[in-house]
Amino acid sequence: MRWISTAFVAAMSLGLFAAQHPAQAAQQKYKIFLSMSYIGNDWQAEAANMVKAMAASKDYRDKVDLKVQVAGPNATRQIQQINAMVQQGAQAIVVYPISPTALNEVVRNACARHVVIIAYDAEITEPCAYNVHIDQLEAGRVPAEWLVKKLDGKGNIVVITGVPGTSVDTQRTAAAKAVFAKYPGIHIISEGVGMWSQAVARTVLTKILTTHPWNEISGFWVQVGCYTIASMEKEAGIPDNQLKPCAGEGSNGHRIQMLAIGAPGVEGAHATYRPMGEPSISYASPPYSGALALKLAVDVLEGQQVPKFTKLPLPIVTNETVKLCKEGTWQEMEQGCNVFQPAIISNPGWFASIYSAETPETGLQAALNGKPEQ
Amino acid sequence: MAVAARGRAPWRPRLGRHRGLIVACIVFLVLFFAVDFITPGAFSYFELHFMSAGGATLALAAMGQTIVILTGGFDLSTGAVISLVNVVLATSMGTSAFSQVAFFWAAILIGALAGAFNGFFVAFVRMQSIVVTLATMFIVQGLTLLVLEKPGGTIAPGFTAFFSGDAIPHLLPAPVVVLVVAAVVWLLVKNSRFGVGIYAVGSDEEAAFAAGIRARAVKFWAYVLSGIFYGAAGAFISAQTGSGDPLVGQPMLLEVFVAVVLGGTLLGGGRGGCIGSIVGSYILMIIVNILLVLNVSAYFSSVAEGGILLLAVLAASLNRRSPIAFYIRLARDKLAARARGALASAHPSHGAAPQLPTPPASQPVAVSWFARHREGLGMIVPAYVGFVIVLLASQAVFGNTLTNPGYFDSLLVLSSFLAILALGQGAAILTGGLDLSVPWMIGFIGILTAGLIHGSDAVALWAVPLGLVLGAALGAVNGLGIVLLGLPPIVMTLAMNGILQGAALLYCNGTPSGFASSAQRWFMTGHFAGPRPVVWFLAAFVIFSVVLLNRTVFGRRIYAVGNSPLVARLSAVGVGGTLIGVYALSGFCSALVGILLSGFSGQASLGMGDDYLLPSIAVVVVGGTLITGGRGHYIGMLGGVLLLTALSTLLEGTTLPSATRDIIFGLVLLGAVLALREKRA
Repeated sequence: MRWISTAFVAAMSLGLFAAQHPAQAAQQKYKIFLSMSYIGNDWQAEAANMVKAMAASKDYRDKVDLKVQVAGPNATRQIQQINAMVQQGAQAIVVYPISPTALNEVVRNACARHVVIIAYDAEITEPCAYNVHIDQLEAGRVPAEWLVKKLDGKGNIVVITGVPGTSVDTQRTAAAKAVFAKYPGIHIISEGVGMWSQAVARTVLTKILTTHPWNEISGFWVQVGCYTIASMEKEAGIPDNQLKPCAGEGSNGHRIQMLAIGAPGVEGAHATYRPMGEPSISYASPPYSGALALKLAVDVLEGQQVPKFTKLPLPIVTNETVKLCKEGTWQEMEQGCNVFQPAIISNPGWFASIYSAETPETGLQAALNGKPEQ
Repeated sequence: MAVAARGRAPWRPRLGRHRGLIVACIVFLVLFFAVDFITPGAFSYFELHFMSAGGATLALAAMGQTIVILTGGFDLSTGAVISLVNVVLATSMGTSAFSQVAFFWAAILIGALAGAFNGFFVAFVRMQSIVVTLATMFIVQGLTLLVLEKPGGTIAPGFTAFFSGDAIPHLLPAPVVVLVVAAVVWLLVKNSRFGVGIYAVGSDEEAAFAAGIRARAVKFWAYVLSGIFYGAAGAFISAQTGSGDPLVGQPMLLEVFVAVVLGGTLLGGGRGGCIGSIVGSYILMIIVNILLVLNVSAYFSSVAEGGILLLAVLAASLNRRSPIAFYIRLARDKLAARARGALASAHPSHGAAPQLPTPPASQPVAVSWFARHREGLGMIVPAYVGFVIVLLASQAVFGNTLTNPGYFDSLLVLSSFLAILALGQGAAILTGGLDLSVPWMIGFIGILTAGLIHGSDAVALWAVPLGLVLGAALGAVNGLGIVLLGLPPIVMTLAMNGILQGAALLYCNGTPSGFASSAQRWFMTGHFAGPRPVVWFLAAFVIFSVVLLNRTVFGRRIYAVGNSPLVARLSAVGVGGTLIGVYALSGFCSALVGILLSGFSGQASLGMGDDYLLPSIAVVVVGGTLITGGRGHYIGMLGGVLLLTALSTLLEGTTLPSATRDIIFGLVLLGAVLALREKRA
C-alpha cells in the first residue's frame, strides 16, 4: 500500500490526476493480454494462476477480458507475440519478460500505439514500460548480511546462484559478494550454478560435497535450495539442532523447516518436510507480482497515475517471524502468517510468498487453482 | 523433347526436386491467410513490417544451419554464436557511421571465425560435427559471458533503423531487403562450383572426392559460410532489440532445426536448400500468431504447436510413395492374400537347413584380443583416458578424492541418470535417429508417478511399473510416427516433447503436488552394503545394456538398421519393428530417470528433465558413437557419462566464474574426442 498510496497522493496533489475515461469501464471490457515466457516451471505456473484469479475476481471480471499466451524461452518469439497482441487490439499487455533488453524495441512500438506494457518479476529497461518487481540488490544483500551476522563474521560458506547471464542472478550475487568481501573471516569455498531449481540444487550440492565435506562448511547463501540442503543434512545424519544456517528461498518446504521443532498444528508433515528449527532467513521474488501488474494495468487504463516502477517490498521471513497459516485466506495472511500446511501444499518447492497488502483478491486458492478470494 | 515424348512434361522432375520447398510455401500461405482472415482489419504495412522483422533472425540462423546440414553435418553452436555477436555489438559499437559499418563487418567476421573453428575440426581433423559444435557452443557461451555478464549495452539507433526499419517508408521494410540479399547470396553460392560441392559432399563424400571435388575444403568453407549467416543473424537481432543479452541466442537452437526441416531440407545432407529454411522460419513465427488468434490456452500451446509441426511435415511428405501409403497398400495386399489363402504362413514348409561345408581341421590362427577389438577400443578408450585425467586433476585440486569412497559413490549416483538415458538415446542414435522427447518424458512420467504415489510405498509398487510401461508406450508412439508416417525422428520426438509438456501441465494444473515414497528416496539417498542402492542398480543396468546391445538379436538389428536400413530390410531385418522398439526403449529409459530423479529430489517438479537433453546426446557421442548411426558401444557411452560427470563435479567444487567453467568444459570436450577422429580419408 505504502509506495503506491504515496505516489497516488503525490499525483493528486500535483493535480495530475484527471479522469480520462469515466464511462468506458462500465460499457466494455478492457482487452488485456498476458505474455508469459516459459511455463515449464513451478514459479511461472503459480504466478499465472494468480493473474487468472485476479482477472476472475469480483472487481475485475466485468472490467477485464484476459487472454493468456506463452512465448517459450525464446526472446524473438516473445517479440513476435507482443507485436501480434498489439495487432489484435490489446489495450494493455502484462509481460513476464524473457530478457530485460531484447524487448525494448517492440515495447517502444507498442507504447507508440498507446498500449500499456507492464512487466512483472523481471524488468523491461525501455522507459515507457511499467515495471513491478523487488529490488534484486536488496534480495542479495539482506540475506547475506543475516548470514554474516549468524556466523559472527567468520566461516566457510557455499554459494548457489541462479541462471548465469541474467540480470537478476548477476545483481543478487554481486550484492551478496559485496557484503561477504567486507568480512575477511568469511570465505566462499565453492560456488555452484543452481538455475533456481531445487532439483538442480541437489545435483550441484552433491557434487560440491564430494570435494568439500559437511564439516568444512559453516553456512549457505543460495537463491533456491535451502529446503534441499536441510534434507541432505538429515540424510547425512546431522541432528536438527546442528543444522547449518542457510540464507535462501521462499519455498513452503524451507519455511516449514524453519518452524521450531515440535511446532503445534502442523498437518501432513513427513520425512524432511517438517519443522526442524533450521536457522534460516527466507526471501523471495513473490509470485503475486503478475496479479498486481494486472491491477496496475487496469489503473492506468482507467486514467490513474501509476509510477513507472512499483518496487515490491522484499518478503523476508526469519525463524522469529515464520508463522503457520491454517487455511491460507488473504485475511489470515494479513495477520502475519506466511507458511502453509504440508497437508495442503504437498510440494515443498512451492513458492509461499503470495501475500501482498495490495492484492486482497488473491489468497492461497488463487495461487493453487486460479480461484479468487470470495 | 525426348522427355516429353515419354509422356512427361519437362517441368515435372524439376518440380519434384523442389517439392519440399513448394509444400513449405503452401503451408505458410495457408497459415498466413488463416491468420489474416481471423484478424480484424486488412493486412497493413505495419503488419508486413513486423512480421518480416519477427522471423528474420531465425531465418538467417536457419540458413546458416541449412548449409551445415546440406554437407551432412549438425551445428549446435548456432545460438551461442548469435549471442556472442549480439553482446560484442552491444558493448563496443559507437554511434558514428564508421563504427556502425565497422561493427557490421565485425559481426560477419566473428561468425566466420566461429565457423572456421568448427570447419577446421570437422573438415581437416575429421571429427564429428555434433561434438565439435557442442564444444564450440560451450566455449562461445563462456566468451559471451566474459564480454557481457548480464543484459545491457546499446546498439546505435542508426544501426537499428538500417536493418529493422524501413528501406522505403510505407512500402518496403528493411528486413525484407536483408532477407532478399541473404537469399541472393545463397543462390549465387548454390549455383557456383562451391555450391555444387556442398550438395555433392552431403550426398556422398567419397563419391564427391572421387569426382574430383576437394571435399575437405568444401566442408571447411561451408562452415565458414554458415558462420557468416550466424554473424548476420547476430547483427540483425542486435538491430531488432537495440541492446545486448548474453542468453538471447541459445533458446533458438531447437527452433532453427525445426525451421530447416520444415523448409524441406533432409537431415543427413545433400537435399534441400536455404530458401525453404526461410519459409520454415516464418511458418514457426506465424504459429505464434495462430495460437494467439485462436486463443489457445497456455497449457495447450505446446500441444498445439507440436500438432501443427507434425501436420506441416506430414503435408510435405504425403504422396503415393510415402510410408503411410506403402503400409496401407501392404495391409490391403495382405488382406487380399489372406482372403485368397495365398499368405506365406498359410503354406507350411520346412525351415531351410542348408548343408554347410565342414570347416577344415586346421588350427585357427590365434588372434590376440586386442587385435580383434582394436577398432572398438579406439572408440571407447578416449573417454576413459579423459576420465582418468579429470580424476587426477580433481585429486590435484582438492587432494581428497581418489582415496575417498564417498567421492566415487556420489559420482556414480550422479552418473546413473545419464547412464540410463545413454542407453535409450544411444540406441536411437545408433539407428541414425535422435530422441528429443527426453526432457518432458522425464518430467511427465516423474510428475505422474509422484502424483500417484504421494509418499506411499504401497502405491509405488504399482505406480512405478505403470510409469515405466507408459514411458515405453509413449516411446513406441514416437517409433510409430517415425515408421508409419515416415516423419523425421527429430520432428516426431520434438512434437512429442511439446505434447508431453502440455500433458504434464494439465495433469498437475501447473503445480505438481506429488512426492516420492520413502523406499524411492532410500533407493537414491540411503545406503546398502556400502554405497547407495542405486549404485548397485547401475552396475546391473550396465551389464543389461551391454548384453542388450551386443548379445541379443534386437541389439544386432539396431546396428544393422543404423548401417543401412535398405540392406537391413533386404536381410530380413524388421526395420520398422526395430525402430519402434528403439524408441520404446528410449521412452522406458527416460521414464526410469523421471522416477529415479523424483526419488533423488524427494519430489517431482516441472522442468525437471530440461537439463538432460544435450548431455544425453553429448555422452553418447563422446563415447565414440557415430551420430549418423551404426557404430558405437555402450561401454564407450558409459565412459562419456563418467567423463562429463567427473568434469562438472570438478568445476562445481571451485569458485571459478561460470564463463570460465563453460570455456574449460568446451575445451576438455574437444580434447577428449580429438582421439575419436575418423582415420579414413
